[in-house]
Amino acid sequence: MTASTITAPGRADHARDLGAAYARVAHAAARATRAQPAALAHTGIHYLIVAVAISSLWTRAASGHGGTIVGYRADALVWYLAATEVTAIAPPLRLIDRLGADVATGRFELELLRPAPAVWIRVAAELGTAMPRTAVCTALGAGLALGVGGAPASLAALALAGPALLFGVALTVVAQHLLAAASFWLRDSRASWFLYQKLQFTLGGLVLPLEVLPGGMGRVARFTPFAAMSYAPGRLASGHLEPGWLLAQIGWLAVLGLVTARVFAAGERHLGGGEP
Amino acid sequence: MTASPSLSSSLRRAAGADQTGAAAVIAVADLRRTFSAGRRRNRRTIEAVRGVTFTVEPGERLAFIGPNGAGKSTSIKMLTGLLRPSAGTVRVLGLEPWSERRALSRRIGTLFGQRSLLWGELPARTSLATLGAIHGIDRSGLGRRIDELGELLEATHLFDQAVRTLSLGQRMRCELAAALLHRPQLLFLDEPTIGLDLLAKQRFREVLVRLNTEHGTTVFLTSHDVADVEHVAARAVIVNHGTVIHDSPVAALRRNLLTAKRIEVGLARALTVPEARAALGPDIGPVTPLGSAPGRGEEAPVDGIAIDVDTRRQAIGEVLDRVLQRLAVADVSVADPPLETVIGEIYARPAATPAAGPGPHAGGAP
Repeated sequence: MTASTITAPGRADHARDLGAAYARVAHAAARATRAQPAALAHTGIHYLIVAVAISSLWTRAASGHGGTIVGYRADALVWYLAATEVTAIAPPLRLIDRLGADVATGRFELELLRPAPAVWIRVAAELGTAMPRTAVCTALGAGLALGVGGAPASLAALALAGPALLFGVALTVVAQHLLAAASFWLRDSRASWFLYQKLQFTLGGLVLPLEVLPGGMGRVARFTPFAAMSYAPGRLASGHLEPGWLLAQIGWLAVLGLVTARVFAAGERHLGGGEP
Repeated sequence: MTASPSLSSSLRRAAGADQTGAAAVIAVADLRRTFSAGRRRNRRTIEAVRGVTFTVEPGERLAFIGPNGAGKSTSIKMLTGLLRPSAGTVRVLGLEPWSERRALSRRIGTLFGQRSLLWGELPARTSLATLGAIHGIDRSGLGRRIDELGELLEATHLFDQAVRTLSLGQRMRCELAAALLHRPQLLFLDEPTIGLDLLAKQRFREVLVRLNTEHGTTVFLTSHDVADVEHVAARAVIVNHGTVIHDSPVAALRRNLLTAKRIEVGLARALTVPEARAALGPDIGPVTPLGSAPGRGEEAPVDGIAIDVDTRRQAIGEVLDRVLQRLAVADVSVADPPLETVIGEIYARPAATPAAGPGPHAGGAP
């Protein structure tokens, strides 16, 4: 062994290496999640309690309104809620708090001493963590919807709900990183988590479909990233064949990804003492 | 970023070459860092680093030491590119750390105290493979490299255990493997032995020396533990209040400043301090009771004594021999003076004393 270095790769090689590195990180994080079956079971139970409670509430409300609420039949509402809740519960919880704590304790700084962007390594790790949790919640949600709501209204729409769920979870992870970046400038960024949670609840259609929102609020909400996160998979799972939601999700992923990269770059400069 | 004209020779070194033409691994000239503190009206500027200048040549083992608040962590952050200097010049392996941090990260290894970069739930081998991918090491090379490091650090058997199940000493060996994965030319270690037990500290220090002597890795170490400095470093730079107050080979430091040792003896049979003194001989250093009840005076028998030894007057081995031969010993240990005592000694000495003056590499003195 000698003290030789590993030479810096070219641009194309570097991009390929980075892609492979993110995949490795996500894979390792997924393995770490699978290595804790009790925690995975806890996530599943948490999901079931929330999904059963909210879907019972809405099916009861629908039956009191002639079986339909804002255009959703009771069985479609169960499919809707089973899908939207996955995007809220499967991603690692309180991610914003954790990143804030890591910035405060200096742990995040150490991640800057690697030849890959720290933010995307983190996003890859959180996505890896979210994947087994998404699989568990999706399986439970499908079982619940089939058992309580019956067969899906549209198999084609349901098929699109699968990728929409994955994009929804990815959007949730990226958006949380974006809000967590406040911790570069604020001592206590916990308010960001509170704000994010409330926005996802209302504008994401988590506990109620956007159609229930008063006035133009529902229409406005459809153009926010929160709708692409949670409402989109719910809308597809409830039998609405609207593939445009997948494009909206990809678009929001690109926009949020770009903004997150910029904000983290600024945050890293701020940590290091800013511009000259 | 500017530096004063009087530092021109240091700046030449900072540009990357010393008098022999060989590139310095680290070249720092008139490095400064200030922070603002307080709110608008009471805003004040704190100078954490005030004109630090030194160079590190390839293959050196350097200890960069000082008490809390001396400016070591701020300096190490500037050397690794985490912090932008307020003024001065820094070159590490020919790169400017702040603007070329990612390129530099391919060539340096870092180990910061007990902060872990490994996944607790996974075997260390998986974490190492993941970190290897981040460094762009191909899979086959990575497997070989992990095996090499397992051998070097005597940690092969640890790599297959979940990191959270390892002891701190075992985990630190895995962390060191992570820092060395990409064959760095320069290794930064910030308090790497903190919290380790004596045996783990000793093993860790041995590994660092082997790494340097067998593989040529330059070692830059900060520590509060004087023993780390003595056993790992060949040269010590001491900083206090943001400036370099001492720069010399560790041998000179040992000869001139690390001359006080304290031997703590647990006695199998209780003795009074005068009895212990009489047994050890009149030329022994100051003897004091250990763990005696307050106010009982020297005539009360005690279970332990401490002997302060000035190694310039008396070899530590000779005193230990006497202790073991003449007293009924249950336990014995030798302690170094705390770093604060060494620094107090530096300030107490006249500036012209060789040990207290800056060494051949330094440019910044108080």
